[in-house]
Amino acid sequence: MSTVAIPGALAAPQARAPSFLSRVFRNYYVGRLVKALVTVYLVVTISFVVIHLMPGSPVEVYIYNLISLYGIPYNDAKQQAAALFGVNVDAPMLQQYAQYLGQLLRGHLGNSLLSPGTSVASVLLAYLPWTLFSVGLALFISFILGVTLGMLMAYRRESALDHVLSFMGSVFHSIPNYVLGILLILVLGIQLNVINIASMRGSFSPGVVPGVNVYFFLDALRHASLPIATYVLTTIGSWMLTMKSSTTATLGEDYVTVARARGLGDWRIMTAYVGRNAIIPLVTQLAISAGFVVGGSILIETLFVYQGIGYLLNSAIAQRDYTVMQGIFLVIIVSVIVANLLADLLYGKIDPRVRIQSGSGG
Amino acid sequence: MIIRNSGPDIILSVRDLSIEYATDRGTFRAVRGATFDLHRGESLALIGESGSGKTTLGLALVRLLPRAARIAKGSIAYYQGGKPQDVLAFSDQHLRHFRWEECAMVFQGAQNSLNPVLTIRSQFADTVRAHHRWRGREIERRAAELLEMVQLDPERVLRSFPHELSGGMRQRVLIAMSLLLQPEVLILDEPTTALDILTQRAIIEVLRQLKQQLHFATIFVSHDLSLAAELADRVATMYAGRIVELGPVDDIFYRPAHPYTAALLDAVPTVLGGEEQLISIPGSPPDLRTLPTGCPFHPRCSFAIDRCREDDVPDEAVSDRQQVACIRWRDVRRDRRQPAPAKSLAGRIAAQ
Amino acid sequence: MAATLTATREQPVRRLWRQATDGIRSTLSVLSYNKVGLVAAWVLAVIVIISFGAPLVVQEPSPDYANIYASPSAAHLLGTDFQGADVFSQVLRGGQTVILVGLVAAAASTFISVVFGALAAYVGGWVNTIITGLADVVLTIPSFPLLVVLAAYLRLNSPILLALLIAAFGWPTLLLAVRGQVLSLKERDYVEAARSLDLGTPHIMFREILPNMRAYLAMYFVLSMTNAIYAQVGLYLLGFAPLAGDNWGIMLNLAWYRGAIFYKNSFWYIMAPIVAISVLQLTMVTMTRSLEEAFNPRLRKAG
Repeated sequence: MSTVAIPGALAAPQARAPSFLSRVFRNYYVGRLVKALVTVYLVVTISFVVIHLMPGSPVEVYIYNLISLYGIPYNDAKQQAAALFGVNVDAPMLQQYAQYLGQLLRGHLGNSLLSPGTSVASVLLAYLPWTLFSVGLALFISFILGVTLGMLMAYRRESALDHVLSFMGSVFHSIPNYVLGILLILVLGIQLNVINIASMRGSFSPGVVPGVNVYFFLDALRHASLPIATYVLTTIGSWMLTMKSSTTATLGEDYVTVARARGLGDWRIMTAYVGRNAIIPLVTQLAISAGFVVGGSILIETLFVYQGIGYLLNSAIAQRDYTVMQGIFLVIIVSVIVANLLADLLYGKIDPRVRIQSGSGG
Repeated sequence: MIIRNSGPDIILSVRDLSIEYATDRGTFRAVRGATFDLHRGESLALIGESGSGKTTLGLALVRLLPRAARIAKGSIAYYQGGKPQDVLAFSDQHLRHFRWEECAMVFQGAQNSLNPVLTIRSQFADTVRAHHRWRGREIERRAAELLEMVQLDPERVLRSFPHELSGGMRQRVLIAMSLLLQPEVLILDEPTTALDILTQRAIIEVLRQLKQQLHFATIFVSHDLSLAAELADRVATMYAGRIVELGPVDDIFYRPAHPYTAALLDAVPTVLGGEEQLISIPGSPPDLRTLPTGCPFHPRCSFAIDRCREDDVPDEAVSDRQQVACIRWRDVRRDRRQPAPAKSLAGRIAAQ
Repeated sequence: MAATLTATREQPVRRLWRQATDGIRSTLSVLSYNKVGLVAAWVLAVIVIISFGAPLVVQEPSPDYANIYASPSAAHLLGTDFQGADVFSQVLRGGQTVILVGLVAAAASTFISVVFGALAAYVGGWVNTIITGLADVVLTIPSFPLLVVLAAYLRLNSPILLALLIAAFGWPTLLLAVRGQVLSLKERDYVEAARSLDLGTPHIMFREILPNMRAYLAMYFVLSMTNAIYAQVGLYLLGFAPLAGDNWGIMLNLAWYRGAIFYKNSFWYIMAPIVAISVLQLTMVTMTRSLEEAFNPRLRKAG
């Protein structure tokens, strides 16, 4: 280092530029991704462990049957089972676990234990769309209706409408959704005979060919109508209430008063000034609850005999089809994570105040 | 109203305005019997402590009082083309036209006065579209012109969101926006409070220039006397909802007639230094629900006599341009004719 | 002399009792702010009393196969079920397990949340990181499917076990809230004062910080109970919780799977548990709402 005095300004001390690695890890998006991957990994592991610790599996039952019914010696039976199911039952659990992970990373979810040869993926593919359809539509309807009603309630605070809607929302929110489902069937189907229950079982009527046509869509809609109605009724209350309180808070903000002072029309104020600001906290809620309704569908779909993922889980548990169960858990956790990530992205899009922080990293 | 109308160019005329708030702890009388005229192109300063009713008065002029407030009596007349219109009787549509096109208001604390999710450009556009059908280019041009007048860079500001601008910048954006439709009257509520000194000066300069260029009438609502000194043509001081003195700025500052005005002037400390004590007004502002009888200022007034406690105080004319609500105004004035060396603001400035 | 010295320290048990009763009393007084909340609280009290008192006096109804699905009469106020047993007595006796499981689950969950949340906030460092990370993960896992799997394969012969299982999933929300609160209160003056007086961590935790969270804890506890009851009855309905006994969840399951909704006379057999469960949940949700309103002034009525 030179000892010659630098004329003029002092030389500024050199700040150490942050290393590439530390910059990567401090990036907001990388952090979220890592967290998501860790969660998926943990859930996969937990479900694997839990399921494999359970007593009795179809593989063992199969082996036992081979032994007792056909008198096949144990080792041969084991080999046959291994060949059929594609699992090595002898290997220690750790090895099976590693095998499973390896399979997963290559995109294989394994084969169904119940119908050997059928891949888990194909089973899931047959059931998943129905859940997505019903849950998606229900969330959409519930959100739109709930938000609109919530805003209405905020604008007409303390009116009769407000009280009635609050009360009804509260009541439907408290009743467990499966209880409401039973009630709907009971009241609409049996007592009032408005709906022909028997014809509503299943996701679509027998004889109707799935495909991209209106007839199929309407039929699917009809079959999904009761589950959707149940979802909507039980969730709309909380959207209404949250939107009402958010709108009430927004109505008190300065910029709303200023907007009126500027002579802006009521409609413009309601949509762009009040609505857009009030809805911000709810949008993230929407994405997050999407993830969770998928998980909760097990009850409603069983009740209405609607062949979605929840229904599949129920029958998989009853029949101890472990690989399918694992597959379902994977699907559920992935959808929750995707929903959460979408929520974050959406939030950034809607609220300009957040964009700056997340983009510049750390 | 004591002072005769000083000319045909009156733009706003307030008579005996009284505003009450209903709360579950009693009825607040926020403004009582306010009466004044505003002339075209004139700047009127409404000075008072917090709770004096000045903000309420400002809000009433554009009829933006909160739901709990009620105009108990009085009138507000806006003169358009020489003819008075009853602002309190405006239909919703007429009110929407009146607001911002004729009379604009810049609120206290611009921090949250702009919609956080819309760009500044969009908000300018909103303002225009609510009143006229200008084309986008026209809006852009006008907005840029005004932003330059308030010393902001239109390029940068128009595409920003409110949170990307500093407090001072937002205040200036609001001022620019308020002049977008060329109103005749601009009401500014505490335009410089909550801003740092440098920004305050900038805003004051901006306001002064704008006034020179665009000739609109202004009502400043503030507690800051120095603001009035710099920008106002006339000053009205308010206390406990009542206008206690009204007159040209020089008369108010050099020859105040109300004890409250005088005390306010005396309470202003000076940068010039010196060893005088800070003189503050003893006591505190009254509770507006339980006002004392007679003159509301009497508990804190050094000129108070028995009559002050008993009767309501009428307005008295000090000259043909100045009025006061005090029966002892002559004594107040006499007292000030020989100001102690460093006592009056004017004296200090004159001593420079 | 010794007697007067020891008189200044209150016995810990008495102190806990006093705090508990204070807490209940203040919660009730807060509730009375909102009439609806008070009504809900009273109804809940009645339900609890009946549910815990009835099993002591009302006998388990015995089957009477000659009298299946009888319509309501003086002897059988709500008719009989698929075995001919009296429905009304089943309703009276059915609440005990359901409420008990709810209580235990909520208590366990609250306990875990408070202890570990406060710990994480107070100790900080890697303890904090681990606990928070775990909470985030458990929060993301969809609990009901996992609960179903676990319930299906574990032998849950006691309702307490079921309660604990449910609690194992419910704690993250409160834990994160407690942690947040403790973090913010940690820096407050009175905590600083206590710390400088060297009063010890447990003291600070229990005497200074937690009492401030009383309201939130009460709300969360009740909410937690509703979630536990939802999960519990759901498990019974699907058949994954042991079907021994005659609580409302089991009634629901049996009524549903025996097709009680299809017969005119069995209407009350299916409606009874529906109404009972719904009313129970409704009272608790209403109480939570009114507690929330009382503590959050913005939600109160205008003006």
